[in-house]
Amino acid sequence: MKKIYLFVAFLIALVPLGLLTQNPAWGEWDISYFKEKLGFIPKGIKSANSTNAIIPDYAIDGLGDISSYYLSAIIGVILIFVIFFALKKVLKRAK
Amino acid sequence: MHIPDGYISPATITVSFLVATVLWVKAFKKLKDVLDEESLPLLSSLAALSFIIMMFNIPIPGGTSGHALGVALIAIIFGPWVGFLALSLVLLIQALIFGDGGIGTFALNSLAMGFGGAFSAYYTYKLLKGKKFAYFGAGWISAVISSLIVALILGIQPLIASNGGKPLYFPLGLSATIPALVGSHMLFFGIVEGIFTQLAMKVIKKLEPKLANIEVIK
Repeated sequence: MKKIYLFVAFLIALVPLGLLTQNPAWGEWDISYFKEKLGFIPKGIKSANSTNAIIPDYAIDGLGDISSYYLSAIIGVILIFVIFFALKKVLKRAK
Repeated sequence: MHIPDGYISPATITVSFLVATVLWVKAFKKLKDVLDEESLPLLSSLAALSFIIMMFNIPIPGGTSGHALGVALIAIIFGPWVGFLALSLVLLIQALIFGDGGIGTFALNSLAMGFGGAFSAYYTYKLLKGKKFAYFGAGWISAVISSLIVALILGIQPLIASNGGKPLYFPLGLSATIPALVGSHMLFFGIVEGIFTQLAMKVIKKLEPKLANIEVIK
């Protein structure tokens, strides 16, 4: 067991701190913000479909904010590890 | 910020995927050289750290928020190409699974945060190597350069895609995007990225002295 994994686990444990603010990132506003600010919603923004994601906005149906965020962090991290382990296998074979 | 779908004109999207694909091909070749039994745990952990650190939203004055990227750390240890590729993979998961950043804008986000962040961090670190705050400087620059690329891409949208004076995609020009994005990254998120890079490097060297020795910087 590599100790670096403990560092990853430690930061996962702190992840609910990221929920302390409701402020959106600059530019990542609700569609209503454009209407309010410009008087119209740009066509491209209006027609964009952003609800395709499996876990939109790190929120899982039926779970509280903090559990959702924890589970999202864990799912993301597992996926990243799986991808890198798979890449190593594939790239090694190609060597 | 992660550029969402709908903010960018199709012409910009097309160019971004062409450019990014060429760079990804080269990055995969670099990854092939770097990725082995020994580097795998550290590289995958650093990519995981990048994913997690981006979940720490930090509020700033003016009602917005932002986050660090964790890209400088990867670029310093594994080189800019691997840093770019690792960030691209993180961004792909964010876009596909969590709707954080668009799918159409995935290449643009990878170019800004991945390519821009990794290369600016790497060369800044090279320049500052041996100085006390080399890691901090590399982290700060990576966030600022990433934000500059996003600001430029967003800010040119009203110029290249409007219909009868009405912007079709992102509506605000460079005079809005540059101060808001670059300014906030110089003052806040760059500092956070710098501190994270400096501290995390210390932790990694302590936890995994053997692994951190594979630092590719010559």
